Amino acid sequence: MDIFVDSLQSAILLVCSLDREMLTIVMVSLQVSCVSTVLAGLVGVPTGFFIALRRFPGKAMLITVLNTSLALPTVVIGLFVYAFISRRGVFGPLDLLYTQKAIIIGQVILIIPLVSALTIAAISRIDDRYRRTAMTLGANRIQTAKVILFEARFGITAAIVAAFGRVISEIGISMMLGGNIKGFTRTMTTAMALEYDKGAFSLAVALGIVLMTLSFGMNILFHFFQGKYRT
Amino acid sequence: MKVYSIHNVSKSINGRTILDIDHLELEAGRIYGLLGPNGAGKTTLLNILGFLDQPTSGRLNFFGKAVRFHETDLLLLRKEVVVLDQYPVLFTTSVYNNLEFGLKIRKVERAERERVIDEVLDLVDMASFKHEPAHNLSGGETQRIALARALALSPMVFLCDEPTASVDIENQAAIVALLKQINENKKISIVFTTHDRLLAAGLAHHTLVLNEGHLVSTSYENTFPCRIEPEKDKQVRCSITESAWIFLSATRFKSPIGKARVFIDPEKIELHTGETTTGAANCLQGKILQLMEESGRIRVVVTVGFLLTVILTRGKYNFLRPGIGDTVVVSIPQDAVTLSS
Repeated sequence: MDIFVDSLQSAILLVCSLDREMLTIVMVSLQVSCVSTVLAGLVGVPTGFFIALRRFPGKAMLITVLNTSLALPTVVIGLFVYAFISRRGVFGPLDLLYTQKAIIIGQVILIIPLVSALTIAAISRIDDRYRRTAMTLGANRIQTAKVILFEARFGITAAIVAAFGRVISEIGISMMLGGNIKGFTRTMTTAMALEYDKGAFSLAVALGIVLMTLSFGMNILFHFFQGKYRT
Repeated sequence: MKVYSIHNVSKSINGRTILDIDHLELEAGRIYGLLGPNGAGKTTLLNILGFLDQPTSGRLNFFGKAVRFHETDLLLLRKEVVVLDQYPVLFTTSVYNNLEFGLKIRKVERAERERVIDEVLDLVDMASFKHEPAHNLSGGETQRIALARALALSPMVFLCDEPTASVDIENQAAIVALLKQINENKKISIVFTTHDRLLAAGLAHHTLVLNEGHLVSTSYENTFPCRIEPEKDKQVRCSITESAWIFLSATRFKSPIGKARVFIDPEKIELHTGETTTGAANCLQGKILQLMEESGRIRVVVTVGFLLTVILTRGKYNFLRPGIGDTVVVSIPQDAVTLSS
């Protein structure tokens, strides 16, 4: 119990004093996760939108595959991407391994199915009357799509928030493809694992506090905006 | 001037025909009430007239021009026609943004948008709601704002699906008055669907009746589920309720024994005042519940164990002079009855 209380005390001190090493790790994590989330959003939201609104053969199968890939372990994606970007891989000459780009590639692959699946769920919940109302008021296909996206904005935001939460807290991809290089690819989760291995809990707990606060903050922000439009 | 001409238009979904109209013409500047039971095809017809849905076959003319169901053509046509849903939705933003939506699409200048929005909000008596969030409005207010949103676009045709079905009496009266007003002042043609004959009679210049996807000249009422049972003397008994039935000739009606549907033509039913029967077959006694003038004829609703509609000519009505609450006898001739499985 003492070790926990001691670690917590020094962790709070670290957080309050804005420790330089901790800040660097947090910045790397945020940078990588934000880029991954934006890229996955740019691909996943239109993909989900298309799948939700279009009828095509194999649609149900595709949705099942997407839902199944939500449970894909990060280490499997790490291995898969490693096979392509390691020196012997197809993209070996691009020298991507143990860079932030490598982590981003892995994380984007991890969360595209998540963003797509949650976007499909969000769009499917939108009453068809919104589409017909937009059309009868003279909207073309793009304007109608904008209306549907607008009405599904909270569901899509939830998808993005969930995707961000997934990447900022994952460790397998960051460790395998980033290599946990100090100041460069060391993220909050890989740093926490390293500190745990060393038996030094202060920084690990401090990073845990930051991670929890970030997740908590994002959810509060999301619920605040959502609440504004609830009756 | 014909706003719509329909020739052999049909709509099928999964092989089932839900609408099949041989010929229909709607005059510009008139109000048409489209009556019919659930599943009669009213909303399907409205969606086709609103260019939101494509017929499976047939020809539709809009102001004399054949409609091509191509996205580019439909986009232009939809700018002349607005469909108001039975339960309209407002976009989850302000009332102002809702009203502005169609105007922006039509590239109306900002100042003009502002003027039109103020005008239509005054028209529906909801000027104070201009900047309210639309999702905070009640059902009746939503219906009125949806109406205003459509009116802001000054359409040539306004198609309303059950415009008063989901609102209270006060809002119903306001909506009916508004529809009359825009038809008279702005010469907007209106087609509305309803179950309510009183509304149709009071608001529409013409009433159309749809039943099972077809336009029918008679009332869609008097269609009942029934049970067919064999009787002696080459007759079958058609029981509509436990205590109300009619006898039909087994040779004339070759319906199988068991469950069926019976349609009794309201124009062929004979009404006799007083409690005495004429001795004719299939006489049912009941009381008059409702009397209504409809396109020069008198519609009488009689309760005979079930609600039966009888349509009288004015001459017959003047002769009989039935009153509400009077005990009457209705006699149902064989040729008034149609059986279907």
